[in-house]
Amino acid sequence: MSTGTRVAGQSLPRIDAPGKVTGSAVYAADFALPGMLYGKVFRSAEPHARLVRIDTARASAMPGVRAVITAADAADVRYGAAVKDEPVFAPDVVRYVGQPLAAVAAVTLEAAEAALAAIEAVYEPRPPVLDLAAALAPGAPLVHERWRAYTAIPILQRDGNVCNRARIVVGDVERGWVEADHVFEHRFTTAMVHQGYTEPRAAVAAWDSSGQVTVWSNTQLPFDVQATLADILAIAPSKVRIIVPGVGGGFGGKLRIGVEHFAALLARKSGRPVKVMTTSEEELTAAYPRQGTVIELKTGVTRDGRLTARQGRIYFDTGAFAGSGPGVASVATMVLAGPYRTPNLHLEGYAVYTNKTNCGSYRAPSGPQANFAVESQMDIIADALGIDPLELRLRNIVHEGDEGPTGQVLTAVGLEECLRRAADAIGWADRRPAPGRGKGLAIGWWTTTGGSSGVYVKINPDGSVTLNTGAVEIGTAALTGAAQVLAEELGVDLADITVISGDTASTPFDFGAQGSRTAFAVGNACRAAAAELQRKLFELAAAHLKTTEDALALRDKHVVGPGGRVSLAELARQSQVSGGGMIAHGTFIAPGTAYDTKRVEGHVYPAFHSPSFHAHAVDLSVDAETGEVTIHKYVVAQDVGFALNPIYIEGQIEGGVAQGLGQTLSEEIVYRDGRVLNANLTDYKMPTTLDVPRVESILVEHPGRVGPFGAKGVGEPPNVEPPAAVANAIAAAVGTRITSLPITAEKIVLAHSRDAAGGTH
Amino acid sequence: MAKIAITLTINGEPHEALIEPDRTLLDVLRTDLGLTGTKTNCLDAECGVCTVLIDGLAVNACLYLAVVAQGRAITTIEGLASSGDGRALAGALHPLQEAFVEHGAVQCGYCIPGMILSAKAYLDDHPRPTEAQVREALAGNLCRCTGYQKIVDAVLAAASRMASSAVAS
Repeated sequence: MSTGTRVAGQSLPRIDAPGKVTGSAVYAADFALPGMLYGKVFRSAEPHARLVRIDTARASAMPGVRAVITAADAADVRYGAAVKDEPVFAPDVVRYVGQPLAAVAAVTLEAAEAALAAIEAVYEPRPPVLDLAAALAPGAPLVHERWRAYTAIPILQRDGNVCNRARIVVGDVERGWVEADHVFEHRFTTAMVHQGYTEPRAAVAAWDSSGQVTVWSNTQLPFDVQATLADILAIAPSKVRIIVPGVGGGFGGKLRIGVEHFAALLARKSGRPVKVMTTSEEELTAAYPRQGTVIELKTGVTRDGRLTARQGRIYFDTGAFAGSGPGVASVATMVLAGPYRTPNLHLEGYAVYTNKTNCGSYRAPSGPQANFAVESQMDIIADALGIDPLELRLRNIVHEGDEGPTGQVLTAVGLEECLRRAADAIGWADRRPAPGRGKGLAIGWWTTTGGSSGVYVKINPDGSVTLNTGAVEIGTAALTGAAQVLAEELGVDLADITVISGDTASTPFDFGAQGSRTAFAVGNACRAAAAELQRKLFELAAAHLKTTEDALALRDKHVVGPGGRVSLAELARQSQVSGGGMIAHGTFIAPGTAYDTKRVEGHVYPAFHSPSFHAHAVDLSVDAETGEVTIHKYVVAQDVGFALNPIYIEGQIEGGVAQGLGQTLSEEIVYRDGRVLNANLTDYKMPTTLDVPRVESILVEHPGRVGPFGAKGVGEPPNVEPPAAVANAIAAAVGTRITSLPITAEKIVLAHSRDAAGGTH
Repeated sequence: MAKIAITLTINGEPHEALIEPDRTLLDVLRTDLGLTGTKTNCLDAECGVCTVLIDGLAVNACLYLAVVAQGRAITTIEGLASSGDGRALAGALHPLQEAFVEHGAVQCGYCIPGMILSAKAYLDDHPRPTEAQVREALAGNLCRCTGYQKIVDAVLAAASRMASSAVAS
């Protein structure tokens, strides 16, 4: 896999593995302080109502209760990444079942739960907005009557229940329809799904006598939570210290403030440390799941299979607050374009308020939904034109130097190689090998999110190296990857490196564990730090070895010169005597990607930085009687640029596919009348060992220009294509096209029987 | 509820606790005894992160009363390397732990203690399992990171290592 590197590119065990297999690794959920209280949140029972009053007197008087707080105890602050519309506790209007109204802290969890049961809320129900159609209907009730008063990113296109409409316009789709021989129009829907991390969201907060609050949390973005919490507490950010001990999975669900504010407010009120941790019910009713969507897609194509135009609208049911919706709606338009050359585009993403839980970011936000529509329709078009789906894609995919939808110039495009290799690996030539058995393909592209990263790197007097980063390890092994880059550049071994991470008081800033960026950005910051360390080491070594700096090299944990060598340990010791230690600050900010600003509107993500390209291929059977899907083979070919640690990239692919298959086949947060019907892990069905097939990973390497050794972001992409790949294979197997997720066995059987009866669906 | 004194034998050591009789083993392990290697999540025996061994059987500690565990041998992840097999040295890893590290089977790691203990309980009775048997044995342990493939590979590799070392001794 690697040529010319010793550490980067090797499948080395992750540095935090021993602690994780022995149980000694401490996660936020494990964290405790002496004298700690347990906090619980009282939540709305109504989807939309005026909160007439909330009575906490009985709860406050119960044994063991040390604090009860409501909106009256929190500053009148609204927060949110794109639109500041969410209060800590609903002050007057409640907007979803599960919205926080109050919180209690007590000496035991049982006492806190008992106190919750003693809180009484009186509501005056209002007509709820239960789904996208209701929210977008003329004269629909407004989820936020005073939406105009909220602070928002200025470029957002907001209007009533729409908290952003992002748009890409290229050429003229009307001309494209004229040039087309056929125009295809389809509608797709996808369900709300949860990230499914196994560690609940958890936070322990404690105040000290200087007025600083320290919160041990499992957030993916400690610096973002620090800023939000400072706003909520109305104190300076430097008075808020966020420390991330360990994170038991996040997948985007732990980006934004989760329970940290409840812990901090309860700790302030009670004068004791407070721990708050969510239950499965809270996760499935009041977290940050992936938005359900409705997608309308219209595509024009010539009879020989050239795309002439595409018009797409994707509507995100983003729930009671904007959450990640405005950004996700923007990213979606990039995905709707697909990795295809289409001269005329009119693509819109709408983030829409409803009276449901606030949706957020989930691994490749918008990717699986938009890709499901695009890649399902490509197969429908291929079959209608009598062109092989692989061939149709090959005639339209982007290549090196092509333009992306907003005019960015695409480089390091490994898409054709991915597509051909995935198709070959699945035996594409025989697409329908037996009755009830079929194969499907889906391709896509994704971004490597930018943002800045800083690291402090210290060489210790024993020659070991400490990497201090504001990023956090959420499980992907991204910080092992970054450490491999550092080891490579410094000429040391991975085993020499210790990582300190995720503490807003003592680690340098990092944009956080999001957007497939951690190994990419922290790795590059490590390269910068290594270059600075080399300069300092050479300066000392030149004097020591009585030579000039340009005659020196870093090799095998030594600085080597013409007349001898000196160890890094010795130079670190010398530096402690003469210069305060051998330390460097490395930074990285991804360079901007040029695009055509005239093509976009309301768009907060107008270019895909260091984009990756990928193809998924699946071979499966469908049981004609039961509709049950059995996957025989699943192949992913992903252009990773450079595989920093192949075994963990395979792990990202295998895990991303497993999550994707859950969203495709079984997972759905089911709402009825504004209430979740399946808020437990018995009825919210995530894949087990018996549901996930073996996945074959093909790591394609077209090195990018920015990432360390050419690496591109790898974490999110494997989650993008599973719905479309599986839907296409099911259609090939049984001739029935399912256009809504999840594709349950029941749905297949019902649709198949309707098809057999000559109906449509 | 009146508290009662109990003694639990955990990883070969006696531990005393004064608890209400309706407390779960999971809660007592984590809250009273500070043994947080056993993880908490759904509290409904669906996810398996709380798996421990009781007299060698894998159980969900979230639905197991602590009082019932008295007089039984409780093994948690903290005791795995030194419990059983009679071969691990202090600080050394159990073959399952070694295999999980070597095969890239660990990502966020939160499910891993339960996963390893479920695997140990199964391998103790079925030293030469097939892949299908391993998948069946681990079906009660949810992992959201790995897609299970490298976990299954690690368990098969550990089984093979443990079986060959049993033959050798």
